[in-house]
Amino acid sequence: MISCRNLTRSFGEFTAVNGLTFDVSAGAICAFLGPNGAGKSTTVKMLTGLLAPSSGEARVCRLNVAEHPLEVKKRIGVLPEDLGLFDDLTVEEHLLLTGNVYGVDRHETRSRTNQLLHALTLEHGRDTFAASCSHGMRKKTAFAMALLPNPQVLFLDEPFEAIDPVTSKIMRDILVSIARRGVTVFFTSHILSVVETIATQLVMIRKGEIVWNSPAGELPQSLEQHYFDLVEAPVVEELEWLGSRRS
Amino acid sequence: MARLAAVLRALALAFRRDQKSFQSVIGNNFFFISVYLLRSAGAFVYVIIGLVLLFPMSTDPLRKIPVSRLALWPLETRERWLLRAISPWINPLTWVLAALALWAVYGTFSKQLWALAAGLFASSFLISSFTGRAALRPSQGMWRRVPSFPGPLNQLIRKNVREMLSTLDVYCALLLSLSAIVYRAIGRQVPREAYLAITVLVVLALSSYAQCLFGLDGEGGLARYKLLPLRGWQILAAKDVAFLLITILLACALAPLAGIGAALVALALGHATSVQQPRAQIRWRFSTGASLMLGFGQAILMAMAAWNIFSGAWWVILLCAAACAVSVCWYGRRMEQASACE
Repeated sequence: MISCRNLTRSFGEFTAVNGLTFDVSAGAICAFLGPNGAGKSTTVKMLTGLLAPSSGEARVCRLNVAEHPLEVKKRIGVLPEDLGLFDDLTVEEHLLLTGNVYGVDRHETRSRTNQLLHALTLEHGRDTFAASCSHGMRKKTAFAMALLPNPQVLFLDEPFEAIDPVTSKIMRDILVSIARRGVTVFFTSHILSVVETIATQLVMIRKGEIVWNSPAGELPQSLEQHYFDLVEAPVVEELEWLGSRRS
Repeated sequence: MARLAAVLRALALAFRRDQKSFQSVIGNNFFFISVYLLRSAGAFVYVIIGLVLLFPMSTDPLRKIPVSRLALWPLETRERWLLRAISPWINPLTWVLAALALWAVYGTFSKQLWALAAGLFASSFLISSFTGRAALRPSQGMWRRVPSFPGPLNQLIRKNVREMLSTLDVYCALLLSLSAIVYRAIGRQVPREAYLAITVLVVLALSSYAQCLFGLDGEGGLARYKLLPLRGWQILAAKDVAFLLITILLACALAPLAGIGAALVALALGHATSVQQPRAQIRWRFSTGASLMLGFGQAILMAMAAWNIFSGAWWVILLCAAACAVSVCWYGRRMEQASACE
């Protein structure tokens, strides 16, 4: 479903993503892990047609993303890093907009909108303008927008961050459920405990390069320890001034 | 006092970076043309324009600090009072008003006019102070009344209408339109051509917005456009429909066909800068046009088109529509190319 071959993206002298090669099969839940600035969001942007690669190729649903961006967009659902919401539309209007532009039948759009608002506990805020929503509500709205057109592939950039535990559980259950029905999920996250519960494939990236790619069950140790070993070990600085009596 | 000085320094820096109001007015087509047309009408007209300028500029600098942050800072009560008293003087308009007050007391400046200016300043200042960021957000009630439109671009058009309604351009145009309607309603005899002139002024008041159609979408909105499976021309068409709807509403009691023709010209020329030099706009301000030359070009061609249509050359409106359609297709394609090249 997702296939990258030597995917590279440079910004001037700086190479954000360097020669990524990996595949994600249909129905997989692939967690794309790495520290801040490792190139995760840049990779998601290239896979969703928001950013052109400097070299290499990305294929989604067997389509070259750079050559057929519109066809790819019709098949995918995306939760982007900045959520991509319009301040002047309400939560419900965002979902109706999504149904309209993805060609979903009007009654079906209404029905899906109501179901998603209910499932994601957004019903009370359906008439709230995005500009007035909390960050969590905005994220849930963007997540619902990604699901509404019933995509073949879901790209989610940090979906669980800033989400309450109940909604996080609901979202995880939805992802596991749709993956069983063949939808491919590709998500980034820093919450390793959540990743452990749902991911079927793990790809780790450091400084724009892949350092680990395997099925989730083939990890030689705990995910956290493996991440610290391969990606970034935590360095604890002794901040001696903290707690001292000097102001 | 060191804490207070630090806060005031940061406040001055943030306020200076945010203070684009004057720029927004001087970059607006309507103000260029108004100043030009009214150059011989005397100082009173300039005072009126000055007062209009005053409103969006009269903001409380202290609103730049988030309320929660200000509450968390370990400032003593005395420091908070001092901050409240000193911070308004970061806004240069406070100094201007003080100078005018001295002039009114010791010089020739009219006390009534000073009171009007001070009242306008104070009301705008207090609104911005009490409502903070909320003042920049759409009000729930009014915005909900924007109707739905048929077709798949329904919600986009609705959003675009709401965006337009949160610029001062629309209200300036509305004021002009209502003045003409009231004048007509009270039975005053007005030459037919006067309605054409007012219509051109109405569309002129809106025309700077046509140069920055994506100015209020924000980063999130612009990212969403790239994700939606829509062609560039569809996104531009949704913008144009919203612009035309508001124009038709404002010009319907004046010279509607001439207004539509002028609006189509404004859009045909405005797409270039909207797509190639997008400028972020601020709500409840006048729109900032992209360039003086483009503004004059828009004004001249709009007036020509409106005059011809008004004089009976109906085919000109078809020409305007064709020009707008070509522009939508061309710049829609440019949008797609720009998105692919990023």
